[in-house]
Amino acid sequence: MKSVVKKIGNIFRNFGESVAKGNLWVKLSLIIMGAGYLGVGQVAKAVLMTVVEAVFVLYMLLVGAPYLSKFGTLGDVQYKSEFNFATMKNEVNNYDHSFMILLFGVITIILIVAFLCIYIANMIYVYTLQKRKEQGIAINSFKKDLRSLLNERFHITILALPVLGVVVFTIVPLIIMIAVAFTNYDQNHMPPASLFTWTGVENFKDLITTSTTITFGYSFGKVIIWTFVWAFFATFTTYFGGILMAKFINNPKTKVQKLWRTLFVVTIAVPQFVSLLLVRYFFANTGIVNTICSQIGVTDFLTKIGLVREGLGYIPFLSSPGWAHFMIIMINIWVGVPYQMLIATGVLMNIPNDLMESAKIDGASSFQIFKSITMPYMLFVTGPSLITQFIGNINNFNVIYLLTQDVYKTTDQLLANSSAKEVDLLVTWLFRLTSEQYNYKMASVIGCVVFVICAIFTLIAFRRMTAGDKEESFQ
Amino acid sequence: MKKKLLAVLMATALVATALTGCGDKKDQGGAGGNNGGDSAGDPVEALIASTEGTVNLSVWAAEEDQDMVKGWCDAFAAQYPEVTFNFSVGVQSESTAKDTVLTDPEAAADVYSFAGDQLQDLVRAGALQAVVIHTDEVIARVGGADSGAAQAATVNGTLYAYPATADNGYFMFYNKEYFTEEDVKTLDAMMKIAADNGKQITMQYDSGWYNLSFFIGAGFELTLNEDGTNNCNWNGTSADGISGVDVAQAMLDIATNPGFVSLTDAEFVTGIKEGSIIAGVNGTWNATAAAEAWGDNYAATCLPTYTCAGKQVQMASVAGYKMFGVNAYTANPGWAMLLAEYFTDEAQQIERFELREAGPANVAAASSAAVQANPAIAALALQSQYAILDGCESSNYWSPTESFGAILAGGNADGTNLQTLLDNLVDGITQ
Repeated sequence: MKSVVKKIGNIFRNFGESVAKGNLWVKLSLIIMGAGYLGVGQVAKAVLMTVVEAVFVLYMLLVGAPYLSKFGTLGDVQYKSEFNFATMKNEVNNYDHSFMILLFGVITIILIVAFLCIYIANMIYVYTLQKRKEQGIAINSFKKDLRSLLNERFHITILALPVLGVVVFTIVPLIIMIAVAFTNYDQNHMPPASLFTWTGVENFKDLITTSTTITFGYSFGKVIIWTFVWAFFATFTTYFGGILMAKFINNPKTKVQKLWRTLFVVTIAVPQFVSLLLVRYFFANTGIVNTICSQIGVTDFLTKIGLVREGLGYIPFLSSPGWAHFMIIMINIWVGVPYQMLIATGVLMNIPNDLMESAKIDGASSFQIFKSITMPYMLFVTGPSLITQFIGNINNFNVIYLLTQDVYKTTDQLLANSSAKEVDLLVTWLFRLTSEQYNYKMASVIGCVVFVICAIFTLIAFRRMTAGDKEESFQ
Repeated sequence: MKKKLLAVLMATALVATALTGCGDKKDQGGAGGNNGGDSAGDPVEALIASTEGTVNLSVWAAEEDQDMVKGWCDAFAAQYPEVTFNFSVGVQSESTAKDTVLTDPEAAADVYSFAGDQLQDLVRAGALQAVVIHTDEVIARVGGADSGAAQAATVNGTLYAYPATADNGYFMFYNKEYFTEEDVKTLDAMMKIAADNGKQITMQYDSGWYNLSFFIGAGFELTLNEDGTNNCNWNGTSADGISGVDVAQAMLDIATNPGFVSLTDAEFVTGIKEGSIIAGVNGTWNATAAAEAWGDNYAATCLPTYTCAGKQVQMASVAGYKMFGVNAYTANPGWAMLLAEYFTDEAQQIERFELREAGPANVAAASSAAVQANPAIAALALQSQYAILDGCESSNYWSPTESFGAILAGGNADGTNLQTLLDNLVDGITQ
């Protein structure tokens, strides 16, 4: 942390030094960014930098400044449309579009920051060029500079595109989402017809409030607990299930191993949502599983021992709290184990055979070998992917949504009042808030929470699992 | 996010072209203003004169109506040989049209079909173009400004949609093998007959659309405020002097009766096919299924009365309409309006009835002998006197009522105080 501050301090010191000690060309670069290059005879670069500066100024004047000036209020001119009978078209006033203001405001701020960085770096660089010239060191021609991007500075060339992609497709939307969490963007404030504006931390307060009109606090607690319970079970049941399955299939005593492996891979080949929707019909209240269960007396038995409510007449596999939670995890095992089996098969084949053999010679039982060699090895190799899976399961939209949408109806009124259900994960709750209630502000708040949770888990877990000192521990 | 940006950019581009288009062509259709229509000159001629190049129109209709709508598009284009049209017809279920449209109104189709209960939300979000061409004719065709269809499509005195069908409501289907016309007048009698025969009658409890039947029937109200929130007094006492607890208790008694079961739409169809269901509250969309299953014994009538605090109370219903609307952000509002008008014309409504048994909203189409003879539509007409207009439900209405219905359908397993249930319900609806 300290070193970062120090580095930033250095940058500014260098910048100050450049301004103070630079010659006229360098000082002129404060206004025309290309000037410094002219001083050392780099015309092409001088033109390039000046064009960059001109484009930025032009953008700021035409697009950036107008949007940025409204960024504080997110617009105040309401959309108005009137039908013109002469042209048979709608005539729309020059309205403010809150979302566009937010979007372009954020983009403009990012561009300003980026430009400032380039600007400062430029000053420092032209001053270095000046010093080189004074010391008589050869200065690269533009062609040489370009060529260096393919040689010694190739890493910059190759990273440019991915970094740009991450900024445009990940960072910007993320910032927008976070920003929406601080606005009142919901069904009553939908652009372009109406405006939305900043409301501060109001939405975050709502998320932890439980009152007669706001039940988000209650729902949030319930949903987040189930999210973690689900993520834990979904990850570990499929993980151990997959390893066991791989062990069984790879066991020398198992016949026609390839057949079994192929059969399980077939489950992967069927698109997940097809199998999930089918399973949902199988386990519906009037579905085939219920028909069979009631015919062979399972329903009656479960009613007798109290697992099914008296007088219900069917097993509420996917329609009552406890049952649905249990079934979702069970169905997920069936969907998820084949993937794990494939991964485990690969890893298991890599376990050094000498370890196993020496253990056998020492008289270890199969279980002991599994416990002391196989599992530690598996955990060591697949640890990082296990964390990714845990986080993936926190956000596992498919299984939950496809199995319960339209089938599961909550009988918890407080949950219902904030559009949540007992089986909702944060991410499915978020989805239904946006797609059914258009409550973008609360969805964004939940999105922020999910982001924070996932970030924390990733950081903690990766630090622990891949810490350098453990590198050799398994050898 | 990117899709949205793209849509916005495209929409602004379209608006820009629309505005520049103003300059060169005008004055052909006379000065308009927003005086509600075609008082000055013929808007159609003006429209043809002001049209340049190809007119692109996208349409969203239900999956089962695709061929029908595509045929209408071609027929519409044939009416105007001087104009080149380019239609694209997409699939969008009417019941979820609002969800798709409101996700990004500017990217929605130019003309789309939706269920009438979504009108208020669509108008509030600015997603519907006011009907300004042939307004008076459109209203006259559905029976005048006081007709239910016109009112259902009107918000604050402005017509926003073209009523296409008048059948989006519910009534009672029954099997004549078990029930006489006298039996189907009270729910008690029906449940007793069903229980005696080891069968069941059904109605979907866990849906606010159906379960308001009990409350509205008992004289309770549900109204919409300007800001889109609901007023709801179901936890108090109704105008008829019935308390909400009485209604909830009555619903609970019905739910726990062996002759009754709460089933979803799809389960209702399965039930009548299997024979376990001999009567049920449902709508015209399942009329064909019921007619096929019960054959000559198929019958339909208005909803019965239910016992509430010792009195017989008539069950109410929702009179719903399916409508075509024009997207407020369309690049061709004129043509889009004419297309929507054409879709809902008498001939098209009759065709829709013949193909899909959809009850016409058009008065002339509805008075045809074939429509009058249809038992489901006759039942709907009979029920209409006890119906309230669709569209009084806010977006916060559905989830709490679904949960409330589910609790009662399950016999209030936790034994929660009914007044508490009602208070939570009203808190949720009115939030």
